[in-house]
Amino acid sequence: MLAPLHSANTAQVPVAHFSSEHSCLSIDHLSLAYAGKEALRDLTLSVPRHRVTAFIGPSGCGKSTLLRAINRLHDLNETVTHSGKITLEGQNIHDPQTNVTELRRRVGMVFQTPNPFPMSIYENVAFGLRLQQRLPKRKRDDIIEWALTSAALWDEVKDRLHRSAWQLSGGQQQRLVIARTLAVQPDVLLLDEPASALDPISTLKIEELIRNLKSELTLVLVTHNMQQAARVSDYTAFLHQGELVEYGPTDQVFTNPRLQHTENYITGRIT
Amino acid sequence: MTPPRLTSSRQPLRLLQDRVATGFITAGGVGVLLAILAIGVFLIWETLPLLAIGESLALAKLSPLAWGTLKAALAALLFAIPVALGAAIYSALFMSARLRARIKPALEMMEAIPGVVVGFIAGLILAPWVERHLASALVLIIWLPLSAGLAGLLWQLVKARLRRRLPPLSWAGLWLIPWLALMVAIALWLAPWMEQLWLGGDLRQLLDQRFGMDYATRNALIVGLAMGFAVIPSIYSLAEDALADVPSTLIEGAQALGASRWQALWKVALAAAGPGIFSAVMIGAGRAVGETMIVLMASGNTALFSASPFEGMRSMAAAIAIELPEASPGGQTYHLLIFAALVLFIFTFLVNTLAEVVRQRLRRRYRQMGGTS
Amino acid sequence: MKAGTVNTASRRPRFNWLNDLWPWLCAASVALSLLMLGALLALLLVRGLGHFWPATLEEVTLRSGDTFAGHAVREVELPQQAGDERLYFTGNQDIEGARWRWVKIEEIAERAQPADLIRLERSPWGDFIGRLVAIEQDDQRWEGDAAWQRLTALLALPASQRQESQLLLTTVDGQTLRQPMASIVSAQAPNAMSWSQKTHVWGDGVWRFLSEGPRAANTDGGVWPAIFGTVLMVILMSVMVTPFGVLAAIYLNEIAHQGRLTRLVRIGVRNLAGVPSIVYGVFGLGVFVYGIGGSLDEWFFSDTLPSPTFGTGGLLWASLTLALLTLPVVIVATEEGLARIPEAQREGAVALGATRLEMLTRIVLPMAAPAMLTGVILAVARAAGEVAPLMLVGVAKLAPQMPIDGEFPYLHLERKFMHLGYHLFDTAFHGEDVQAAIPLVYATALLLVLIVLVLNLTAIFLRHYLGRQRGNEC
Ligand SMILES: Nc1ncnc2c1ncn2[C@@H]1O[C@H](COP(=O)(O)OP(=O)(O)OP(=O)(O)O)[C@@H](O)[C@H]1O
Ligand SMILES: [Mg+2]
Repeated sequence: MLAPLHSANTAQVPVAHFSSEHSCLSIDHLSLAYAGKEALRDLTLSVPRHRVTAFIGPSGCGKSTLLRAINRLHDLNETVTHSGKITLEGQNIHDPQTNVTELRRRVGMVFQTPNPFPMSIYENVAFGLRLQQRLPKRKRDDIIEWALTSAALWDEVKDRLHRSAWQLSGGQQQRLVIARTLAVQPDVLLLDEPASALDPISTLKIEELIRNLKSELTLVLVTHNMQQAARVSDYTAFLHQGELVEYGPTDQVFTNPRLQHTENYITGRIT
Repeated sequence: MTPPRLTSSRQPLRLLQDRVATGFITAGGVGVLLAILAIGVFLIWETLPLLAIGESLALAKLSPLAWGTLKAALAALLFAIPVALGAAIYSALFMSARLRARIKPALEMMEAIPGVVVGFIAGLILAPWVERHLASALVLIIWLPLSAGLAGLLWQLVKARLRRRLPPLSWAGLWLIPWLALMVAIALWLAPWMEQLWLGGDLRQLLDQRFGMDYATRNALIVGLAMGFAVIPSIYSLAEDALADVPSTLIEGAQALGASRWQALWKVALAAAGPGIFSAVMIGAGRAVGETMIVLMASGNTALFSASPFEGMRSMAAAIAIELPEASPGGQTYHLLIFAALVLFIFTFLVNTLAEVVRQRLRRRYRQMGGTS
Repeated sequence: MKAGTVNTASRRPRFNWLNDLWPWLCAASVALSLLMLGALLALLLVRGLGHFWPATLEEVTLRSGDTFAGHAVREVELPQQAGDERLYFTGNQDIEGARWRWVKIEEIAERAQPADLIRLERSPWGDFIGRLVAIEQDDQRWEGDAAWQRLTALLALPASQRQESQLLLTTVDGQTLRQPMASIVSAQAPNAMSWSQKTHVWGDGVWRFLSEGPRAANTDGGVWPAIFGTVLMVILMSVMVTPFGVLAAIYLNEIAHQGRLTRLVRIGVRNLAGVPSIVYGVFGLGVFVYGIGGSLDEWFFSDTLPSPTFGTGGLLWASLTLALLTLPVVIVATEEGLARIPEAQREGAVALGATRLEMLTRIVLPMAAPAMLTGVILAVARAAGEVAPLMLVGVAKLAPQMPIDGEFPYLHLERKFMHLGYHLFDTAFHGEDVQAAIPLVYATALLLVLIVLVLNLTAIFLRHYLGRQRGNEC
């Protein structure tokens, strides 16, 4: 086990700094608690635009909580309290003027467990589209095909678009959820362990998708798979017990971590 | 390939819709809840004029009704509690799971049978029959539990010899039905002879001559049977839930300590589910107090102060149903009857709240017990 | 528990009263409950449906030489071993002055079942039991078999096309009677019927019970107005209770701040389901009928006062009262359905940029629909069987007009209506001739129980289906 961290340590954590034109999303002294139980403590980092940033850390360290905070999904839970600031493209997301639904469209989220809606595959992908805009059917079909293709699912489902999404396998459901999110064309994509239920081939496809998407949007990836983090991410943040331990370019974090904790975690020496 | 950018022209409209709908739902929801609250407010409001009348009159009018209500409810509970709890214990702890999946909904179906049908059978079919066969009816009440015990005794005896071939206890709920039917038939056949032999004729005459007890066709005995029938399912269902939810680790733990099965059940399951059983009985009592049609049809509706099981009564609910449509609004009877309704309302509301609180607390305790083991 | 107890308990082979008998008593409780339920249903089925089976007519000769015809209804033991007595339905109220006759069994000298005995259903005066001698029409005359054929031929025509004619009838003890054709409703000769004819008559009887109005002070005829009234009232009630119940449930579950107050309100709503129905009736009478109805009368119907229009019990107030009564049922069921929807579904919708309204209407409500339907069906089942509150807010023993007719505004919400449950209560307890009404009461009770049971079974089935669906998704 890692020794508990002191806040003094956090101050020493070297934080990758990006000039504001490179930073897409920045998190400033964010603390968050579930019904008084602290889950994130004084977190500060910024995520570069058009890059893949990986969040790693042991289970329960607050990765999912952080992703939800970026999306303001915690608004649904009355027990959550927070302090600090999150800015997206220079705009404070908690600003009263911010349109939450628009924010959530711009910040797409793929959850840790796939949650397709109880409707057809087609309708799942069309769900977000229909909310935004009334499109002619042909155009909508095009976008849906594009989204499913991007998520490496099109070939498998193109003949049964109108079957229930709940009949898909777990891995297919995960890719469907990715396609559903891509369809509304977010600027930032938050992926919470998108490949945890996938076979190696689909995983590779997803990773390739992530690399391709980089040119269009900013990606944040939560993963427990160190190789995956090393393969696809440009920057890596290591979280532990709600605090940011280390953050920097991926090759630096993986090959030459500043802290012993990080190295132990990456090399699998902690339980 | 990249699709064209989406526009978000509909945004303001969508947000407006959302805000309007939220307001609408809130208004509707709060309105409905207030309407429900209005019941209590109305009853209290309409009772206020009674303060001017003075209590002696109200007391004179209402106390026989209160007595009748209590008598009817007690009679019903006297019949319903043992049967419902016995059934709950058996189906939660002994019955085979397959049978239970069928029997439980069937018994809960009993609750759906309208009171007016039960009241009709009780008042017009059962009551005259019992009047003519009082002795047989009383014999049956004693004979049925005995015959169940007899079945158990026979089963134990035969088991020692036959072992496997016997239908097991876990299915007894089903195969005891023909046995009980047979026993009822035997009792009905024998009872007149016994009446003749030991009582020298008619039990009703005997009661009248020896003890000066009147017999009314529609009486507390009939109400007890009929309303008991209606109350059994609600008590059964809740008590069964409480018993079935006792963490099995508890029972197994007690058995590991060496208690035989029944002792383990008695000591552990019943003790653990005690509050749940209590709340089931409370809810049954609430139902018995408020049931209108059965009492109306099976009790004779005479406002008497009598403890005799063979005499009728008039309950508050029945009095409201009969007298309120005739009472002129604003008159004294009107306010008195509304006061009776208020009493029913407060009583059942309190009883149900108590039961609900007890049940929630119990559920929390189960969760802790299940969690720690 | 001490180790010593272990050994004694497990080794003791003797019969232990506490250990071995209690479970049997408990098992007997289940058996007894089932037996009672089964007996009740069987009684209703046999008596309710049996009533329509054409009963064999007997010609009974007593030792005193007296003869009469009728069908046996039941036998009763006389007190003090005085033998048995049998009840006959004899009809012929206009001739004998009574329709029933108790006869001691030992007084009966002979019972025969002659094939030419017939039973005529008439209005007025109820049934005639006896023989058909002839039919006269103008100067034509049919006798014997021809008369019977002529009668059935006439009855096969619609009532308006039957030629005016006279029936010459005689009772078994020789009294004669002239009966105009117009008063005959139906005729049968049950002793001469084959099984298939009897089945046919039986089906016909059941159908007429369901489709006709009551006759002869509710002792005869059918229950169609009561069925109609019940169904209409229940429909109106569902139309009111469904939106409000669902709205309140959505508010409680999705919008209200989940604090102490909401929890209290939730318990309160749950407990209202246990408040006696008569209390709702009192509220309906005081607030809807006297309060709102009285005001409506003053404002809009003052020309007809003092005779009330809305200020008396009626269809509208009855369905409103029952809607209030069943509101907790719908709220509780819907809330259960809402609470069962995984949070992940809500988050998924919201994360795609849906507003709360869109999340509710597109994801949550469709998923909760079976639960809502279950709630509404349970509410309907409860409302269909409730009688006590209706006695206060608008049910009628015999409604002169149906609540829906061709007269503007077609649906008359202020009218009183008939209800199956109340019809049952009224005919069984306030009828003029309870003896005659009992078979119909049985049939009504059976119908009511069937309706309620079918509704409940549907709800159970839906709930089961719901559970399965949930199993899929996990
Ligand atoms: N809805 C909630 N209510 C209360 N506590 C929560 C809630 N969700 C998460 N937590 C707590 O917050 C902490 C962080 O949880 P989080 O889900 O962010 O972990 P994680 O890093 O995503 O873990 P994993 O890798 O297992 O997904 C945990 O201690 C967890 O118990
Ligand atoms: Mg997580």
